[in-house]
Amino acid sequence: MLQSKIKLLAVLGLILAVGFMVLPGGVTAAAQTKGQVAMVLDVGGRGDLSFNDMGFKGLEEAAQELGVKTVVLQSASAADYLPNIRNAARSGKNELIIAIGFLLADAVNQVAQEFPKQKFAIIDSVVDQPNVRSIVFRENESSALVGALAAMVAAQDGFKKVGVVLGIPIPVLFHFEAGYRFGIDWGNKKYAQVTGTNPNVGLLWTYTGTFSDIAKGKASTEAQLKLGAGLVYNVAGPLGIGDLEAISEAIQQAGHQAGPPFMIGVDSDQDWMGGGNKVLASAMKRVDNATFDVIKSVVQGNFQPGTASQGLDNGGVAFSRYANLLNFINFGINANAIKEGDRGTIIKNWLEMRQQIPYWIWDAVSELEVKIMTGKVTVPTANTPDEIQAIRKQFPLGG
Amino acid sequence: MARLSAKLAAIPGLRPVGESSLAGLIGMILGALLLLLYKFNPLLAYESLFAGGFGSLYGWAESLANATPLILTALTFAVGLRGGLFNIGAEGQVYVGALAAVATGLLPVPAALRLIVTLVLALAAGALWGLVPALLKMTRGVHEVISTIMLNWIAYFFAFYLIAHTLSSPLNGSRTIRIPPAARFGVILPGTDLNYGILVSILLALLFYFLLWRTTVGFELRAVGYNPRAAHYAGMDEHSIGHWAFLLGGVSAGLAGAVQLMGRPPSYAILSGIPQLLNLGFDGIGVAMIGRNHPLGILLAAVFFGGLEAGGRTMELVAGVPLEMVRVVEGLILIALAVPELGRFLTYLRHLNPLELLSRQRRRAD
Repeated sequence: MLQSKIKLLAVLGLILAVGFMVLPGGVTAAAQTKGQVAMVLDVGGRGDLSFNDMGFKGLEEAAQELGVKTVVLQSASAADYLPNIRNAARSGKNELIIAIGFLLADAVNQVAQEFPKQKFAIIDSVVDQPNVRSIVFRENESSALVGALAAMVAAQDGFKKVGVVLGIPIPVLFHFEAGYRFGIDWGNKKYAQVTGTNPNVGLLWTYTGTFSDIAKGKASTEAQLKLGAGLVYNVAGPLGIGDLEAISEAIQQAGHQAGPPFMIGVDSDQDWMGGGNKVLASAMKRVDNATFDVIKSVVQGNFQPGTASQGLDNGGVAFSRYANLLNFINFGINANAIKEGDRGTIIKNWLEMRQQIPYWIWDAVSELEVKIMTGKVTVPTANTPDEIQAIRKQFPLGG
Repeated sequence: MARLSAKLAAIPGLRPVGESSLAGLIGMILGALLLLLYKFNPLLAYESLFAGGFGSLYGWAESLANATPLILTALTFAVGLRGGLFNIGAEGQVYVGALAAVATGLLPVPAALRLIVTLVLALAAGALWGLVPALLKMTRGVHEVISTIMLNWIAYFFAFYLIAHTLSSPLNGSRTIRIPPAARFGVILPGTDLNYGILVSILLALLFYFLLWRTTVGFELRAVGYNPRAAHYAGMDEHSIGHWAFLLGGVSAGLAGAVQLMGRPPSYAILSGIPQLLNLGFDGIGVAMIGRNHPLGILLAAVFFGGLEAGGRTMELVAGVPLEMVRVVEGLILIALAVPELGRFLTYLRHLNPLELLSRQRRRAD
């Protein structure tokens, strides 16, 4: 009995072993179908309704409008970055490989040298190779706008603080923090100038150390709300889903339907989330447009390596407005986060939410926007821990 | 025929290999059903999975590169379990080892000695981190599951602090300073991730095999793990044996963190969010279970595990299966593979009388 069992197991083992050996090794052989684009995502991955989904949105639009084929490679760990990009290059099928996120920079840098004829693009980091287009954003500019808005609205609604929940302390996030601090300071001054009293709205800020743990976003937001924050800015992609949960619960406990407290969205236009009356505005970062544009340049044969810096003046970052809301409700429907039937309610709620804010505040935000675009106001930024420390000293905001 | 079976049965290691193959096959069938259910082609998916991991020299190189740190973290868990400990602290010890490896870059060390000094400091750091749960258990009776989980989190946030401040690169705030070139393991096969760091893993696995089965300490360690009471009556000092199991585990996990940073291209630095170290320790538990907590079994299991990881990427690229589904299918195969050893482990736990265990711990605490 035992022996026959052993025999069976041995035979099965042999079958498996032989099976591995005879499997074909040629799956990565080059087939010269042109017009395919590969997108490599970092561990954050899809479904964040924010940064990564924006890259994916650009890719999908390129597939529809330019007719390119697409393949998406998500990474399970950092050990996947290099092999994922290398596999995409080795296959020879991809005209362009787009890496979404600063974490992939080292891997792009290496594979770009291994495959000098392959075209690459990277978002949020600079890779200095002759076959790479690097796209970076001036997130400090859009963050200044939402910072100014947050300070003025908090003052108007009687809150002493505004908050921000950030991800991992990296240079890109320092841009956000620096701009937000500057904006709050600007908003405080503007409020004083208009009403005659300086509200001295302070800042509560939390680096959660994650771009994936949604529960940490909720916990951090709850803490900031308890400490008196009237608006909380999400600067950690998917953590905004947790931020919004905390804000929705606070609104519910107060017996209200709409904010305050409000969330401020990031990267995509997140104003539609939570029914349209809980996210007051979003600091958009048009990763979708950047992705679409670089694919288009490859299709049209005018791909240019080098670095592009995108800010308010060229639409790379933006303050969310009505037209964006209409566009991004579709984005939410595509992501199965809302249904087609919700569209009307969301638009109505959003309009009511924005109308309850005095008109001069919206004017002030527009004023700052124009001043930044025309160079009359320069928003400070930070790329290193030392530089962000200096900004924190310059704009302490009660902390 | 009977003689053939007798001969087959006499080959050492054939039975576990056969058992695991059957288990793996069951896992694969379950995975195939799931793929069918979600309208993916299971044949294409499995073909790309195994071709990606084992179908070419490139695939083998990637699989071995993935196996390199997993061999070491699996040894950590295995040596603990052999000594009767459920040591899940490899995760934190990996972080600490990696931090020590990066920090060594700040020390003035002659280039010729850099590699060896970096390895030694990393394994020492891992060992020290591993000693904390040992001391807590032996002096205060704190169960190692509790203490190692807590120490993992302490190491995690400690790493975040050091990456953002002390070890942060002055050129790029999103990573630490790089390991100096003199302390890096070269790439064996250009254009792949396979590097000479794998020699460290293989050597340590062989060393652990020798230690566990050819030395007195190893014999005592296994005896304590097998039956602590009998070992105690035989005059063995279970306390010092327990220290050994934690210490060896810490050494191994500390090396895992160091080797991952010193060998694996392209960064040679810890990125913010420690994405290249995350889960190495926990994956090691799975590898140890599949490898029957035996150093040689672990070598095989780690290569298989690494191959699934490498093949999973090809499955995304070729068969168009999204990463989440790839992970589910891989998980089914791995769980099936771990079932035989898990069964044995649970039987072993049942044989230990829980009340007896409690009173033993209380005595220790007193």
